[in-house]
Amino acid sequence: MNAVVALIVGFVVAVIGYRFYASRVDARIIQADPKRATPATMYMDGVDFMPTSRNILFGYQFKSIAGAGPIIGPIIAIQWGWLPALLWILLGTFFIGWVQDYSSAMIAVRNEGASFGGLSYRFISPRARIILLSFIYFYLLLIVGAFGNVVVSTAINLKAAPMAWLFLTIAGILAGQMIYRWRKDILLTTALTVLITLIGIWAGTMAPSDKVLGESLANSRWLWAIAAFVFCYFAAVLPIWRFALPINYVAAYIVFLGLFFGVIGVLVLRPDFTLPAYTEFTIKIGPMWPIMFVTIACGAISGWHSVVSSSGTARQLESELDARPVGAGVMFVEMVLAIFALIIAGTIYASPAEYGAAVAKGPGGVFAAGVGKFLGALGLPIELGRSYGSVMMIVLAITIMQLVVRFMKVATSELLGDVSPIFKNAHVGTFVASILGMVLVLTGWWQYLWVLFGGANQLMASLALMLITAWLMSEGRSTTWVFYPMIFMFVTTVAALLYTSYSLLSKVLSGAVKGEALIGNTIMGIVGFFLVIAAFFLAVEAFKAFGRYKTLKAQPVSA
Amino acid sequence: MSEEEKRKGGIFKAVKEFVYGVAAHDSARFALKTRSSMEHLFILITMGDMLGVPILPPYYSLRLLPYVVPQISTWKRRMLREKDLTDALA
Repeated sequence: MNAVVALIVGFVVAVIGYRFYASRVDARIIQADPKRATPATMYMDGVDFMPTSRNILFGYQFKSIAGAGPIIGPIIAIQWGWLPALLWILLGTFFIGWVQDYSSAMIAVRNEGASFGGLSYRFISPRARIILLSFIYFYLLLIVGAFGNVVVSTAINLKAAPMAWLFLTIAGILAGQMIYRWRKDILLTTALTVLITLIGIWAGTMAPSDKVLGESLANSRWLWAIAAFVFCYFAAVLPIWRFALPINYVAAYIVFLGLFFGVIGVLVLRPDFTLPAYTEFTIKIGPMWPIMFVTIACGAISGWHSVVSSSGTARQLESELDARPVGAGVMFVEMVLAIFALIIAGTIYASPAEYGAAVAKGPGGVFAAGVGKFLGALGLPIELGRSYGSVMMIVLAITIMQLVVRFMKVATSELLGDVSPIFKNAHVGTFVASILGMVLVLTGWWQYLWVLFGGANQLMASLALMLITAWLMSEGRSTTWVFYPMIFMFVTTVAALLYTSYSLLSKVLSGAVKGEALIGNTIMGIVGFFLVIAAFFLAVEAFKAFGRYKTLKAQPVSA
Repeated sequence: MSEEEKRKGGIFKAVKEFVYGVAAHDSARFALKTRSSMEHLFILITMGDMLGVPILPPYYSLRLLPYVVPQISTWKRRMLREKDLTDALA
């Protein structure tokens, strides 16, 4: 099948989903009302609560949710064949993905902009809040591990990437200095720093890491893992305007220029899928159900989005009517991004064996090769395009990673600060988070790590849907559109986490893995089981709450 | 301005806002958050009595009160609002 057909089908699904399904839910069930004051207008403080234009929020939401997730998932999942992966991206987004993003925003909008901790306390139980927050900590640890692995494997496989990454870091620091200290014009700053990064991408092809550092250092996982965590360390301990934000600012232009021209390249080349539509039900990483459904997380449904929608976007919506374009609309755009990644993996290799060899080294190489090919269709030399793709991959992964390490610093201080005051120190908190992440990156097998991350991510999504179901029940609204997706996601992700954790721990207990892998597999297996147990406890609490709401509804209203 | 010009202006404005949202909105929010955290810390030190945390002797608090009045309601709400780990993420 031609790849353009997949893109067209994606557009059609997005239009139907957005114009009809989302519109109907918005108007009939949630009954969005432009006259009702949103938390942004009611509690405007110019900081957290601030009415913001829907176009700005559209960009903000897109940038916050479209990281490496929607790209890597489809690249790995095509091992089951491109058809099941495509169907899951389309159906997952249509029935579950936008439902979660949109309703996570609306539950917060209708409840004074409260975040998930407070909402679970109110609608489920006090215990639910504690379980949810400890779940989130381990979930974030898996994000750091999975994305750290992407950074390391990309830096090793694409020797042009480290130089481009270094230039991007320099450009970002310069951007921060120019904007906040020297008060330079924003257009000048943007043009200069993006240009420096582009020069870095070109310099990467001229001076690849193996020529600069030597073969053994350039291929050292330790070196790139340390580099990634030193980067995150600075992002976590330096003032946010000095390092993390300006790097993200410059990186945003690089990523979105690449994606924009990449999609145009697909339309110009119009390639056919060269990999099989379907391979077999069970492959090396596991059976299609449930593993494929968690491998493609962000492109279909992702718990991360619910956190962004509730704690970030919901407090900035000017009108309730903006929740649909921002919450649901952006999810459909991300679906198209996931299809783009699927097209890359499915069309650029001549045979499954060639693809298998490439993906075994890491998904970053596959993505960079695809970007190289599609930008090549617009006249960019292949090597330069590949270097561009490699820096895009690193940027997509490390921007989320640095945010998460920064956040884990705060979480470590909150959770362990009472145990010992030393954990309240920013450097210690960051160090703890970095060490935990590095252990996973260096000792965990990346495909299992990705599956565990995806499982935790989507379990988070099902917990968000659980919370939303409780809220809808408390208000006497229809819950079908949220309840069944929640059940499906809960069963699928628990099965995926149990399967993966069992596979990991059985290898450990049978002595099949030794050395470094022993540590990574053990930690990953235990974290997976912990997440399942936490989810079960939360589900018990939630179903008790559902029972309470049903009883309340059944009781006759006293006069 | 004709309808056509308005439409073109609207699309240009939407694209401009989208690019701002992607690239810079986060930076602006974090800058505001940093400033407001410092301001609120200052108000907590000077006006802590209002939340039952007397830090500065009331004599100085009362002298500073007129300057702080416009911010008191937002400050109280921000200090007393329940926050959790997810607040740090978005």
